[in-house]
Amino acid sequence: MTNDQLRHPSAGDHLPVDAPIRGSAPKETPLFELRNIQKRYGSFVALKDMDFYINRNEVIGLLGDNGAGKSTLVKMISGINPPTSGEIYVNGKRTEFRRRSDSEAAGIETIYQDIALVDSMSITRNIFMGREIVNKWGFMDHQKMEETAADILGSAVQISGIDDPRKEVGFLSGGQKQAVAIARAVHFKRNILLLDEPTSALSVRETEHLLGYVRNLKQEGTSSVLVTHNLYHAYMVCDRFVVMSHGTKVFEAEKKDTTIEELTDHVIRT
Amino acid sequence: MSGYQSDHIKKAISERNNRSLWKKMADWTRDRPEGGIAVMFIVAQVVCVIAALAMPDQFRYLSQPNIAVFFKAMAPLGIMALGVGTLMIAGEYDLSVGMLFSFLSIVCATLTNDWGGDIGAENASAIVPFVALLIVLVLGALIGSAHAFITLRFSIPSFITTLGAMLFWRSATLFYHGAVALRYKPSEPFFSMFGGVFLDLFSSSIIWLAIMSVLFYFLLHHHRLGNHFYAVGGNKNAAIAIGIDPARTKTIAFAIAGTMAAFSGVLAATRVGSIQPGGGAGMELQAIAASVIGGAALTGGRGSILGIVLGTALVFTIQDVLLLIRAPAYYFDGFVGLLIVLAVIMNTAVRRSKA
Ligand SMILES: Nc1ncnc2c1ncn2[C@@H]1O[C@H](COP(=O)(O)OP(=O)(O)OP(=O)(O)O)[C@@H](O)[C@H]1O
Ligand SMILES: [Mg+2]
Repeated sequence: MTNDQLRHPSAGDHLPVDAPIRGSAPKETPLFELRNIQKRYGSFVALKDMDFYINRNEVIGLLGDNGAGKSTLVKMISGINPPTSGEIYVNGKRTEFRRRSDSEAAGIETIYQDIALVDSMSITRNIFMGREIVNKWGFMDHQKMEETAADILGSAVQISGIDDPRKEVGFLSGGQKQAVAIARAVHFKRNILLLDEPTSALSVRETEHLLGYVRNLKQEGTSSVLVTHNLYHAYMVCDRFVVMSHGTKVFEAEKKDTTIEELTDHVIRT
Repeated sequence: MSGYQSDHIKKAISERNNRSLWKKMADWTRDRPEGGIAVMFIVAQVVCVIAALAMPDQFRYLSQPNIAVFFKAMAPLGIMALGVGTLMIAGEYDLSVGMLFSFLSIVCATLTNDWGGDIGAENASAIVPFVALLIVLVLGALIGSAHAFITLRFSIPSFITTLGAMLFWRSATLFYHGAVALRYKPSEPFFSMFGGVFLDLFSSSIIWLAIMSVLFYFLLHHHRLGNHFYAVGGNKNAAIAIGIDPARTKTIAFAIAGTMAAFSGVLAATRVGSIQPGGGAGMELQAIAASVIGGAALTGGRGSILGIVLGTALVFTIQDVLLLIRAPAYYFDGFVGLLIVLAVIMNTAVRRSKA
């Protein structure tokens, strides 16, 4: 069956039956694990029976249709969206994830889908927001922050047209804003980097660069979760795939056990 | 990854740092709202000074009494505006500061008088006025925190919370004291420290405004907490996402606004020597006006201490000029109204031309 048929099935097509979820149990103690997670917004159930784990040195592709619950899950791992019920483990130890400081302690950084920058502040201040370089009385070292910002902006993703870290973020283009958000997360990441549709506004060149960067991070010991609607990108860089639909996991497989066609099938057949 | 791609950024930074002073100033007036208002302020001063030199007898702008009065009159509103402006930067309003100005200065005067801190009292206590001031400053902070709690706990607009609070504290003032004027003549050295005049020109109150402005400048523009005010005011969700607690940050801003309202009330009362229970009415709007003229955004996240101080000074320049040319008092509101609209048009134009 061709991809095109899978995308636009007609009545006569035979769609494959549910494939079993493969590789759903971690082999070693994961870096991070969610077990039996439920998340409700009032009466609406955004996540149910969700199990999810992140191993050391791996890149996970988190896939699924619009509204599947990917961003909800990402925000939960970032600590800003606590679960209604369920358990969270960091390095095998049960942990409460109720606010951002909890995930920061676990070495998690996030590039949010909605960017999470303050338009009225400069690039430098956005990068160091909440993590200002200060002396012991809490006064900021502007020069040090600006120099570091210049380094960061030049290294993580090469962003066209940003040459002034004092520029207000509100004046940047969509892709430039996304690049600032990426630069910030990349600079502070330690154990886990969460990327929620990080390339949605990037040019082809910058997208390639970022994907290559995520691939390299693995060698440096940082695991990543990549949320994307581009299955080719996901297939290019990820080691394992989790497909969500309507707030729950519908498919999971390691790269060696699956194909891009199979992933496509599971994503569109929600 | 190496920083080799940063070279062009570093070059741009060093080019910017090496601009001539003149160019830096020109860019500043063009890029920053407080820069624009600074130009407006200087133009206004130059015009007034030229007029005063040309007609020294009719327009006594440069006369010593006029300058002394200008300084005295400006300080209470300036100090209130520092608090109100900081709160606006953090994305909230306090409409009750005018009523707190009256209420807390009356509490301060009552405590001072009851405990023997009046200058006419037998063996007037030197300490009591200070204690009373400290008490109302703390009360101001607590009341501000209460406004914050109600606003944040129930997620309602602070405009509504503090509109209610404004009416509430007006009633509280009349309930506590009644509608009659209250004597407030604190003993020395308190009186000289807060109500004195030296060199026949500078009042203590303008020195306090200067001190507070410097403190606020360092708090807002150089301290981590100030940075968090801008962050929660500019984009609350981004602040949460990055680990800044908006409730805590905003509560501190509310407490600062309440404290400054109390301080401003006591300063004004010390200067006048008595308190009219309705004296603070309308000051909340003037303080917001001064902040807005100085570049504070109604939506939060924007504003500066220099802008707030210049905004206040500009409002008082208008008042002063109108007094000097013996214009009827009702002209004042009209001119301030025009100035607000003009300043916001200017700031918006600056922002639009940059985007
Ligand atoms: N704060 C909220 N209150 C109520 N419902 C919410 C809230 N946040 C998300 N939802 C709902 O939860 C579901 C999952 O949303 P989520 O943002 O996680 O989707 P997603 O998988 O990231 O989709 P997309 O690919 O479009 O980004 C959606 O139906 C959404 O409407
Ligand atoms: Mg999403």
